[in-house]
Amino acid sequence: MARPPVSNLWQGILPALVLMAGFFLLPILYTLGLSLTSDGAPGLTLANYSAFAGEATLTDALMRSLTLALSVVVAATVLAWPLAWYLTFCVTHQRRVLLLFVLVAPFWTSFTIRAFSWQMVLADRGIVWATLRQLTGADVSLGFLYSLPASIFGLTLFGIMLITLMVYSSMVTIDRRLIEANAVLGGSGWTAFREVVLPLALPGWIIGAALTFIVAVGDYAVPSLLGGGLRPVLAQVMLSVLKGTYDLPMAATLASVLVIVIVLCVAPLLLLVRGTRLQS
Amino acid sequence: MTGPITTRALTLLFWITAGVIYLPIGVMAVFSFSSARYQILPIPAYTTEWYTRVFTDGQYSAGFLNSILLAAMVSLAATLIGFACAYSLVNARFPGKNAFTLLVLAPLAVPLLLVGIALRIWTTMLGLQPSLPLAGLGQVLYVLPLAVLNLRNRIAQLPKSHEEAAWALGASRLRAIMDVILPACRAALLATFILCFTFAFDEFVIAYFLTNFSVTLPIKIWTTLVTGFDPTINALGTMVFAFSLTLGVTAQWLLMRKDP
Repeated sequence: MARPPVSNLWQGILPALVLMAGFFLLPILYTLGLSLTSDGAPGLTLANYSAFAGEATLTDALMRSLTLALSVVVAATVLAWPLAWYLTFCVTHQRRVLLLFVLVAPFWTSFTIRAFSWQMVLADRGIVWATLRQLTGADVSLGFLYSLPASIFGLTLFGIMLITLMVYSSMVTIDRRLIEANAVLGGSGWTAFREVVLPLALPGWIIGAALTFIVAVGDYAVPSLLGGGLRPVLAQVMLSVLKGTYDLPMAATLASVLVIVIVLCVAPLLLLVRGTRLQS
Repeated sequence: MTGPITTRALTLLFWITAGVIYLPIGVMAVFSFSSARYQILPIPAYTTEWYTRVFTDGQYSAGFLNSILLAAMVSLAATLIGFACAYSLVNARFPGKNAFTLLVLAPLAVPLLLVGIALRIWTTMLGLQPSLPLAGLGQVLYVLPLAVLNLRNRIAQLPKSHEEAAWALGASRLRAIMDVILPACRAALLATFILCFTFAFDEFVIAYFLTNFSVTLPIKIWTTLVTGFDPTINALGTMVFAFSLTLGVTAQWLLMRKDP
């Protein structure tokens, strides 16, 4: 075996390190730090956070963001498990590749365009309305577009894709003999799911659910175009602060609140992954 | 293990889900050929007027050109930086390697909105003027995780013996990378470039926060959508969707293909 020539391999990571430190890590740490300062007062202060807590429009926006993200994770999970099961156990390998393509492909294009395309379908005189009128003859006003449920719906589609993909990628690695053994011992499909597939595919679900939560809680496009501007989520407020009032300490505080929410909601999930790894 | 009735129900569930995901895009594509200014049914007449307008309206074509140039620079930079980084991650041992890997992959788990806001606050503090190159820098770190993941997988699959043979013949580390590793990664490099391009081309929020007056296509689309409706968006959206789909499919095909 030839010995590698003497070289400083770590030089290969330098460009990435400089970029990630200088344009990702430091900006985020600086932003978190900025939220702890106030123009008038020296030193660190929680003034921005108490101002946040005292402003009903902001706390309402935060609650909407949480409701949105949690609903999306729950709704997408309910649909993603059967879909992942289908892709893993009910189709041939070649077909599976095709079906994964079908599921993932639409999400390569921008969130904005996909959210916008839903406007036409869900609008008060859109396709759904027209179809309902054709079918029932009744002229019902949908009132669905520009509401929180419309945002939940829009982001759930993304969540279904992501969680299905993640659950599937864990499920597909399960040794089929474990399931056969379960069947030999008299287990039904349901017990196979509960006792073999569910625990082994759980890590995939956790990653998928965590990423879906992060995307849903930080998205502005779907809430702006489907949820409307009257009852904004936190991400919409952040967008308007940065492009409107340009109050940077305020933007920093909102960003920090978002970081805190993500850490608080996602950390327990990730601990769960470690828990399941230790068990198995 | 799964009964025939359950299988049929699951098949139905899959295709209904897929149908719902594709429905609005189909609707947008149909309306992009409608002569009416608003989405009304039945469609009065079919026209390609909106498609022509995409190319003749200076604002859209300027945005398109900006986006193409920016995305090309961003994905070129991300592919090169990603390759260097991936090669070192596969071959080198250094203290803090796990922490570094986490740092490089971290943008995947942080909302882009946060990255955008933090970058705007940071660059303002540094006194940097918002500009397209600055936005490009931000986008590089957004697509870098994709590049590193793709290329790391590919490099790790390569048989070690080829590189060792080059070393035995006296090649330096860099020479061996250029003559052995890079050619073997051609398809993966191209796929990575295309994939990064797809995501950079559609990226909105970093570009929105880090530029003032230069307009990329996603920014133009966004401002048009929030300030009022323009039927040109239907045509543009359909084209952007077809464009992204083509790029994405090509990249995946290149990645799945068995390299010679």
